[in-house]
Amino acid sequence: MLNWSQYCVEAATILLALALMSSIFVLAVNRGATRTPELVAAGGGGGSVALAERPQEVAPARGGLAVYGSWLTRLALAFLTTALVLRGIVTGHGPFANQYEFAVAFGWGIVAAFAFFEYRYRVRALGLLVLPVAGGLLLYAMTVGAKADPLVPALQNNLLLTVHVALAIIAYGAFSVACAAGALYLISPPEGRRWLPKPEKLDEIAYRAVVIAFPLMTLVIILGAVWAQIAWGTYWSWDPKETASLFTWLIYGAYLHARVVRGWRGRRANWLLMLGFAAVLFTFFGNLFFGGLHSYSGVAK
Amino acid sequence: MSQTVRPSPASRKPAGGKGTTSAGRGNPSARDGRTPTPKKPASRPEPAAEEAPVGFGDALDWLWKFFISRRTGLVLILVLGLMSLAGTLLEQAPGELRNDPQAYAGWLDSVKPKYGGWTWLLDKAGLFGTFSSWWFKGTLVLLTTSIVACSLHRIPQIMRRTGHPKAQPPDAFFDRSGLRAVIPVGPDPEEALALAAKTLRGKHFRAVVHEGGAAGRVSGTALYADRFRWAPYGSIAAHLGFVVVLLGAFLSASTGFKDTQFVAPVGYKVEVGHGTGLQLQALAFNDAYYDNGAPKDYASDLVLYDHGKQVARQTVRVNQPLSYGGVSFYQSFFGTAAGIKVTDAQQNVVSDTAVPLQWQSDDGKHSIGQLVMAAQKTQVYVVLPASGQVDPNIQAGQVQLEVYANGSSTPTATQVISQGKPTTIAGLTYTFQRERQFTGLIVARDPGVWLVWAGSAFLVTGIFLVFFFPYRRLWVLARRGPEGETTLHLAAQLKRDTAFEPQFRELVADLERAAATSTDTAPTSPRK
Repeated sequence: MLNWSQYCVEAATILLALALMSSIFVLAVNRGATRTPELVAAGGGGGSVALAERPQEVAPARGGLAVYGSWLTRLALAFLTTALVLRGIVTGHGPFANQYEFAVAFGWGIVAAFAFFEYRYRVRALGLLVLPVAGGLLLYAMTVGAKADPLVPALQNNLLLTVHVALAIIAYGAFSVACAAGALYLISPPEGRRWLPKPEKLDEIAYRAVVIAFPLMTLVIILGAVWAQIAWGTYWSWDPKETASLFTWLIYGAYLHARVVRGWRGRRANWLLMLGFAAVLFTFFGNLFFGGLHSYSGVAK
Repeated sequence: MSQTVRPSPASRKPAGGKGTTSAGRGNPSARDGRTPTPKKPASRPEPAAEEAPVGFGDALDWLWKFFISRRTGLVLILVLGLMSLAGTLLEQAPGELRNDPQAYAGWLDSVKPKYGGWTWLLDKAGLFGTFSSWWFKGTLVLLTTSIVACSLHRIPQIMRRTGHPKAQPPDAFFDRSGLRAVIPVGPDPEEALALAAKTLRGKHFRAVVHEGGAAGRVSGTALYADRFRWAPYGSIAAHLGFVVVLLGAFLSASTGFKDTQFVAPVGYKVEVGHGTGLQLQALAFNDAYYDNGAPKDYASDLVLYDHGKQVARQTVRVNQPLSYGGVSFYQSFFGTAAGIKVTDAQQNVVSDTAVPLQWQSDDGKHSIGQLVMAAQKTQVYVVLPASGQVDPNIQAGQVQLEVYANGSSTPTATQVISQGKPTTIAGLTYTFQRERQFTGLIVARDPGVWLVWAGSAFLVTGIFLVFFFPYRRLWVLARRGPEGETTLHLAAQLKRDTAFEPQFRELVADLERAAATSTDTAPTSPRK
């Protein structure tokens, strides 16, 4: 069954690559085409636009290929879900035992978050940035190897750790969507780019994603602290993984506050999103950098 | 236009209508909480203000404004973020090492190859102990102050805003707000508002018809509606929860105790110490491994005595600590102990204990334990080959003793003794009884941990309230036109709550449907 799980991961990787290609293609076509005229927001206080003036949700860009792209992504999500479920059945625990499991789960989180936001806000352009990250993680997972080792004593807290990791991957996935939206915002001039959603919309999507991710991230850190308290008698020990997650949390906390501070909303706030996602990746890969200092396996020795 | 009794959202906007002054989430009345007041009655115009002496009150005022400023909070968060980044990227000296100048100097030398000439600077900046540095703590204190000040500042604002819902915007608000719609309804304004109230209540809004408006305003009757009005307190709960977590951490660090090197040889009763009056006895220790050699289980069968009376017995594993009376025991490490009995020339028992071999020699080939006999001014190092190592000089069933007189750095004698054979070295007779296992535990009492959990609960609950139960308000005005027709004007703010828009649209659609079924007016349409 482990083999089947791995085949699913491989299939998902290929599907993501196809989805990415279709995104790029659709974008190239759209870029050349003219946009259907839209009512331009007129004046109004603080850029707020009256209901009647506000253009309806941006219509899905082109039917055909773009729709295939969406379905490719959803299919990839289905394969990844299957992969994780099969693996969970075999190992008897959530995907938290090693880098492979967590990388696949992280990839799942990104694809799931992207699928959700794409469905909700019809912003395919996000895929240009999100899909490569997800694909990259899956490729990384394959290089790490899918070996399933039994759990060392410190990790034998199935329920707590499964919840901890499940929340983490959703949070990380949403953070990656926020990063993609923020990056597109940053490359947009104030009036927007023709082939991209309007900057305000990108800004809003990024915020929506953080609004989902930040509370989860808070829970992730607290559950991690609970686990540390149970396993080692300390809820916080300034371990690099902990401090990295604290850094991540602070950056997104700063982002949420920056949005209500004059001079910070807009570009500066979106730069914080870039920094935040760098911190997320750093927290994820931190185990590798700091492997010699502290590893979460085989503690009681 | 009629004057409103209470300040209203639109009237508080600066003339430019840039809409950037809000403090609370979606709070239109941000800045007016503490508008700077003129310091003195100015008899002369401008220059007077500049030359006014700065008093204690001004300083306090300045401090207050500094701490309630969102910018201050943001900068403090970012500074903390930078410090945690530094603390993550740079190697951190272990805490116990930083209190020992000599050991710390040694540690500095060990990182010198990595940081080169920067070592000195990083050390002076306290970056090798970032999280215990005075400026990390100082920033935390500033942030805490800022959070408390902001909360004190905002609680009355929230109470005003959510507790006195009759705040009624001027008519202009209905022509300018971020979200607005106009719905033609039947002829009677009161009926129209009642319909709006009913529809809104059906959508779980609280709807309050503004009584004073009907008579006072030429333009019509007004209604106020809101939902999740307790959610803004979530923000306060979250922020104060964070402060409570910090308080808990402070309590953890300043009270209680933590012993990470507690050793209990199997079969022997050991005093827990730290004023607990507890004794611990390990009845057994088991370590199990998977086929690939990875550890599978560490389990200590522990019995706990309180002043000699058994109070608890539990198998303690890595994720299953034993807790009694606020003291917890966590499985941490294990190893071999040598049971050694020492008697003097008169056959008095000097020591009868299992010496835990909890250190490794530098080459990793030997496990070493220490037996201190203070009265005899003697220290003995007990040496065995480390697990998996072979030393031809120390056979199975043997142990090597290195006996030191106090203060001496060269051993008085080094001798290998065999199990069960009393051997006299330097006047004392040593008997190696048997090898035993010991279990290594972390023993801790942490009164702060409950505050940390309580604060965490507040933090999480508050954050979820704020983000998932957004406090939303809208105003409805019933206007009577020149020909006697009535229109309902809906208005709400859009700022920073763009997700309100779809819900607002839905409300408008519902209201249109309700209006259409209750009257026979012409097809309705939202317009500007």
